[in-house]
Amino acid sequence: MIWAVPFSSGARYASLMTDDTKSIARGLKHRDPELLDLLIEQYQFRLFRYLLHLTSSRERAEDFFQETWVRVLERGAQYDGKWKFEAWLFTIARNLVLDWHRRKKPESFESLAGPEENSSFDVQDEKGATPLESYLNEEQREGVHASLGKIPAIYREVLVLRFQEEMQLEEIAGVLSTPVSTVKSRLYRGLESLRVAMTGGAV
Amino acid sequence: MNETLHSRAQQLIAKQRIEGISNEEQAWLSAHFAECEACSALQSQTAQALASLRSMNIELPKNLAARTQLRVRIRAEELPVHNPGRLLLWAIAGVSWLLGLASAPLVWRGFEWLGGELGLPRIVWQIGVALWWLLPGVVATGAVLLQKWARAERTE
Repeated sequence: MIWAVPFSSGARYASLMTDDTKSIARGLKHRDPELLDLLIEQYQFRLFRYLLHLTSSRERAEDFFQETWVRVLERGAQYDGKWKFEAWLFTIARNLVLDWHRRKKPESFESLAGPEENSSFDVQDEKGATPLESYLNEEQREGVHASLGKIPAIYREVLVLRFQEEMQLEEIAGVLSTPVSTVKSRLYRGLESLRVAMTGGAV
Repeated sequence: MNETLHSRAQQLIAKQRIEGISNEEQAWLSAHFAECEACSALQSQTAQALASLRSMNIELPKNLAARTQLRVRIRAEELPVHNPGRLLLWAIAGVSWLLGLASAPLVWRGFEWLGGELGLPRIVWQIGVALWWLLPGVVATGAVLLQKWARAERTE
């Protein structure tokens, strides 16, 4: 299934941009179903990918995905539009995963997504690639997945937020509820771990 | 080459991606790459690792958005109606009730005077006073019930 960003949920939010935080805050306060539909469609890929990185399980990621949006509905009035919507969204998702993890096992976040849970990310074929290119891409992506699996969850998370979600350091700090200095230090260690893992070294 | 230089280059390679580096640092790094093959390779490895991370894609579960939208809508139906204007309405109703209470003796005297002027029996103008108080409440209750009925019709 190829992911796309459909804008079919009505004309009112047709021009909604991800940084149109005030409109989103207004809509969420009124639990506007049209806006929620649009946001779910717009953020489905990014949120699911983030949850997949956090949980390493497609089933769990899907459960948390739905639960996150129910929370967005219930607590929409708390979003004031001062932060980017995705930062708030990811914070909710992360807190849900952490709560679940604490209930399950009172251990640190570090143990999330242990190596025994490294299920496949179902890598997607690239459109228009030759069979050889597809094979090489597939191999490369599997390599990335395997490398990410070797990296401790706290580092993997910041790498994903910084380099896949392209969040600012302050936004990541907001999502993680940690100081920016901690985010930076995790990023430095995570980047080094990723590089080492991808070149076949021990992390 | 000095170990400190390699160490600085490695630090800048990471810093470039995480925080960004100044023009001077960029110039120094480029000059270092021209002389140092190992650091240049490290730069390429880092760039490749990040490019792979960025281009990594996943397959979404089938109808994930549609199923989530449905669940959210069902949950929305269960939640109490969120109406920020309701608090204001209650405040206005409270103030109106207090004012009404304060003006009750005047209304009573007004009706008493009117009854006397028109030569009406006492019971008639007293019923008038009662209606004066009850009528707005009856109309408001009717409006609320009508609104609820209309909402129930829409939901069905």
